[in-house]
Amino acid sequence: MVPLSWFLVLGAALFCIGVYGVLSRRNAIGILMGVELILNAVNINLIAFWRYRTPDHLTGLVFAVFVMAIAAAEAAVGLALIIAIYRTRNTVIVEDVDLLKM
Amino acid sequence: MTELYDWVRLIPLFPFLAFAIILLFTQRNQKLSTYLAWAGIGITWLLGWTIVFRAIGDKHVLEEGFRAPIFSIPTGRGLLELGFQVDALTTAMLFMVPFVCLMIFIYSKGYMHGDPRYSRFFAYISLFATGMLGLIVSDNLLLLYIFWEVMGLCSYLLIGFWYEKPSAMKAGLKAFITTRIGDVIMFLGMLLLYSVTGTLSFHEIFSEETLHFLKETTVWLPLVGTVSVAPVIAVLLFGGAVGKSAQFPLHVWLPDAMEGPTPVSALIHAATMVSAGVYLVARMFPIFALLPETASMSVVAFIGGFTALLAATIALAQDDIKRVLAYSTISQLGYMIAALGVGAYVAATFHLITHAFFKALLFLGSGSVIHGAGTQDMMEMGGLRKKMPITFWTFVAGMLALAGVPPFAGFWSKDEILAHAFEEFMHKGVMSWPFFVWLVLSLGALLTAFYMARQVFLTFYGEPRSHHMHAHESPKVMTYPLIALAVFAVFLGFVGVPEEFPVLGPLFGHNLFHHIVGHQYPATPLNWGVMGLSVLLALTGLFLGWLVYGRNPLKEGQPDPMTKLGPVYTLLRNKYYIDEFYSKFIVRPAVALATLLFRFDNSWVIDPFVNLVGKIGVWLSDLGRIFDLNIIDGIVNGVAAVTAWFGKILRLTQTGKAQNYLLVAILTVLLLLGLYLYLPM
Amino acid sequence: MDFPILTLITFVPLLGSLIVLCMPKEKERLIKQFSIAVSFIPLILSILLWVNLEKGGGIQFEELVAWIPAIRVNYHVGADGLSVPLIFLTALLTTLSLFYSSFTIKNRVKEFFFLFLLLEMGMFGVFVSLDFVLFYVFWEIGLVPMYFLIGVWGGPRREYAAIKFFIYTLVGSVAMLLAIIGIYLNTGTFDIIQAAAMRPFVENFTLGALAFWAIFLAFAIKVPMFPFHTWLPDAHVEAPTAGSVILAGILLKLGCYGFFRVLLPMFPEQFHRFAPIIAVLAVISIVYGAMVSMAQWDLKKLIAYSSVSHMGYVMLGLAAAAFAIGSKDMLTSQAIAMNGAVFQMFNHGIITGALFFLVGVIYERAHTRDLKAFGGLASKVPYYYGIMLVAGLASLGLPGLAGFWGEFFVFRGTFAIAPVYAAVGVIGIVFTAAYILWKVIQHVFLGPFNEKWANLTDMETYEKITLWPLVIFMVLFGLYPPLIVDTINAAMTRLLSGL
Repeated sequence: MVPLSWFLVLGAALFCIGVYGVLSRRNAIGILMGVELILNAVNINLIAFWRYRTPDHLTGLVFAVFVMAIAAAEAAVGLALIIAIYRTRNTVIVEDVDLLKM
Repeated sequence: MTELYDWVRLIPLFPFLAFAIILLFTQRNQKLSTYLAWAGIGITWLLGWTIVFRAIGDKHVLEEGFRAPIFSIPTGRGLLELGFQVDALTTAMLFMVPFVCLMIFIYSKGYMHGDPRYSRFFAYISLFATGMLGLIVSDNLLLLYIFWEVMGLCSYLLIGFWYEKPSAMKAGLKAFITTRIGDVIMFLGMLLLYSVTGTLSFHEIFSEETLHFLKETTVWLPLVGTVSVAPVIAVLLFGGAVGKSAQFPLHVWLPDAMEGPTPVSALIHAATMVSAGVYLVARMFPIFALLPETASMSVVAFIGGFTALLAATIALAQDDIKRVLAYSTISQLGYMIAALGVGAYVAATFHLITHAFFKALLFLGSGSVIHGAGTQDMMEMGGLRKKMPITFWTFVAGMLALAGVPPFAGFWSKDEILAHAFEEFMHKGVMSWPFFVWLVLSLGALLTAFYMARQVFLTFYGEPRSHHMHAHESPKVMTYPLIALAVFAVFLGFVGVPEEFPVLGPLFGHNLFHHIVGHQYPATPLNWGVMGLSVLLALTGLFLGWLVYGRNPLKEGQPDPMTKLGPVYTLLRNKYYIDEFYSKFIVRPAVALATLLFRFDNSWVIDPFVNLVGKIGVWLSDLGRIFDLNIIDGIVNGVAAVTAWFGKILRLTQTGKAQNYLLVAILTVLLLLGLYLYLPM
Repeated sequence: MDFPILTLITFVPLLGSLIVLCMPKEKERLIKQFSIAVSFIPLILSILLWVNLEKGGGIQFEELVAWIPAIRVNYHVGADGLSVPLIFLTALLTTLSLFYSSFTIKNRVKEFFFLFLLLEMGMFGVFVSLDFVLFYVFWEIGLVPMYFLIGVWGGPRREYAAIKFFIYTLVGSVAMLLAIIGIYLNTGTFDIIQAAAMRPFVENFTLGALAFWAIFLAFAIKVPMFPFHTWLPDAHVEAPTAGSVILAGILLKLGCYGFFRVLLPMFPEQFHRFAPIIAVLAVISIVYGAMVSMAQWDLKKLIAYSSVSHMGYVMLGLAAAAFAIGSKDMLTSQAIAMNGAVFQMFNHGIITGALFFLVGVIYERAHTRDLKAFGGLASKVPYYYGIMLVAGLASLGLPGLAGFWGEFFVFRGTFAIAPVYAAVGVIGIVFTAAYILWKVIQHVFLGPFNEKWANLTDMETYEKITLWPLVIFMVLFGLYPPLIVDTINAAMTRLLSGL
């Protein structure tokens, strides 16, 4: 059987990729994708811990479902915002959207 | 049957209603206004005389009085009760006032015909009648004072009725202010009386206990020291009478009051209002007579006597028909006041009543002359006897009554005064004020007869001395009142014929008037010597008048024989320069003082001080501003500058890029994680 | 009365003013009508109040709610025979002023009516407050709207007059505030009635005297007494008509009311000791005010100075009553003097209110108040002449009109206690007659007609409606004074028996 640590390593790797994406991309869509990756890394951890540590309780599973729902909502709102910004300012590069910066 | 007397409450009401209705609603309708005014005074007259004739036979009312309360005002835990009353003096006045008023109201219709403010005139005289009627039926001094002032107001309004004329306007003001000075003195007397006795009701003041209490009480006066309170009250109250009854030194307003329409002169300044002062003294007589040896009586006697003579002399040199009568009024009021001063209460009241009738008659007669002749200057008149017969005959009746020729009304009343004064003087000796009174009043009688003769001869005899004189007799509405008043001028005296007088005495109820008014005082005994002398003086005066003016009536352009008196004439004609004296030494200084005080207030002291305080405040705050700007604010600004400098440096960390912030956050988390894992606990 | 009538009276104008604030300012008609309608509510309530007042019942219609419990400040209101007539007077004059202003105020209508209703609340508040802090708050609230009324709608020197009015009154207020705090520290309560019963500083006369003079200053400025009166002519002359009416009619009464409600019950000992000084100032106010009035050529200024004189009567009556504190046999005279003083306050409100309206009437037409510029107007404007004559005669104390009774009672009470003051004071009566009849009536109405005014029109209907109620009260209270004296007398007797 695959040990728990393998899943944790996968999750950590996915998380790091996601963080890198969020920090390095200038494209708003890229940042959004990074965020998705981070969330999915968390999901993997949740499922793994549930399966290996507390299979009798459904808590971990339910949490994972919650996170997926929120990720979907977040992606929808995020995309909507990006489309709105694109329509008005014709760009999806976050550094160009700096109206609040003095 | 007390119900009838209860109606006394309504006596002042009807004319007041007439006044209110005319003023508020019917000013446009002259006819209706006239009838309303007539109705008001007419109903009151009927009611008044009903009460009078009932009261004459009612001993209880004459002696005790009947009181009809109206309302009371709370004063702390007590009450100040106000009401009306009927008593002996009220009865006598109630006989005279409404009737004379009615006659004058009727007369006014003719005299005021065509005046632009005709209705308002009737409103004003109705209010005036309210005042006079209220005054005589008041049962306390406060109510009396209220009506007294109402009359003062009417006087002001009516004298200044033709206010477009500056002289009329000034005369009105002068009348009001002059009498107001007297009123203020009276007001003080009233306050003193009220403070000492705690009541203003005549009934209570004249009760045995109160009079006794007043006799015992003393008061401290600055300069004078401790004196009995009664004479102080009396003299102060007398101040009001001096103003209202135009006695020296406040007599100056009455002659000027002739600027008003003639019915007003008759109504107010002869028959009724000016007698209010005499009425006041008569009403308060128990207080005046409480301590007869003190100043109260002598002051009254002296002022009255002096005024009687002063005014009579001035009357000699006047050319205005109404002014002669005005001075004669002042003089006659002096008689009454002097009579009260020597204790002749009944005689004074009697003269008050008779004088009202014949003086109203004379004034209305003069009004008729003015109406017919179109001038007031006797020097322009003459020969009116044939053109105005009714006016002439009634005027002569009035003249004889005033001059004191028997058996006219004035003779009986004037003689009673002289007899009483003589009686007192015999009692007290030559060095006493009754002697002075008797002397000046007798002399006054001579002068009165003379100036009245002068007036009649100048006006009615000879030929007109002005060619634009087209005299005509006045309409009936004016002559009928003259006739009615003349009847009284001739016959009214008989109610006061001395008891001992042969035939006439017993015939007219043994001095009926005395029994009505003066039940508490002994009657003045008949004195043939005094009576003879007074008749002689009157006839001498008339004869002298005939000698100077009647024998050879004055022609046009001829000077008045009086001018031969030279400087004396000038002095008399200018009324002893009393007006000029007042103007120079009282009026102008008062106005100047007022202006001075205003400067003091506004330009010199008080307001500049306030402004100075304000300026100092501004200056101090300026100082504060400089201090503030450089030191306090300097510190504050310093603190702010340091803060700003720090902010500038810290600002560099704020790139505004979310990714930078996130990077920092993640690095921090990693750092903390590392610390957590590798640091020993 | 089982509803909080005093609270309603006080705060309905506030509510009204807030609603006015929310109205669009173009709808001037609506604002005017609404404000007048609102002002009718306290008027009706104040009549109810008077009708339901139990004479001799002391403080009634009380409401007591904790407000700032930490320092024991309460919302404590109540009314008695002293305040009820003044509340009614306030309501009446405000309604009439609003009505009159709705025809004469042309600019910034919304602000004017807003401020006026606010002012009304402040005045009511002072008359009903029985708590010092509440009293002080209302006292100050009244200042602000008046400041703006003078400063915005006033005449040419309005800024100067408004500032002078404000600062002068404020100086007094500050002194009073100190005294209030002192009283609180001494007695431990802000309640006026309780504090009065405890006699603050009873153990230390000097401290009491200090507090006395501090409060005295505040009230004396408001009255105003000589020599604190110079803000008055300026404020009156510059204020718009309705402002002058309220200023003379009500604001001056706040000071007098304070003397009766606060100073006399709280410091009877000090008041007794210093009564001669106050009486002297009062007599000076009477005579001096009258004489200075006589020297005026500006109609409005003349009436302003006459207020100084007339308020002197109030102070004289009060001082005389204080003079006799302690001598039991003087109770009747004291009560009469105080009755006269309160009656005079009421009378002065209606009479001088009417006179200021009348000045407004002529100024609207002629745009001058210079007495020398008129002459002979009586035939041209007979209606105006008639009303002016009645008001003037009432002002000079003609018997049969309201003004007489106040003067009579004051002098009657004073004369029994301090005859010399009364004797000097009556000189004022002569001068009053002189300046009313000589300066006002004669110069404006009598004499030859000045052709310059050939186009002058007589009073409009709205002006008549404004003045008739006042004239009716002058005559009504003049002919039948028990109508009001009954109420006052009960309160005064009670007040005196508590000293």
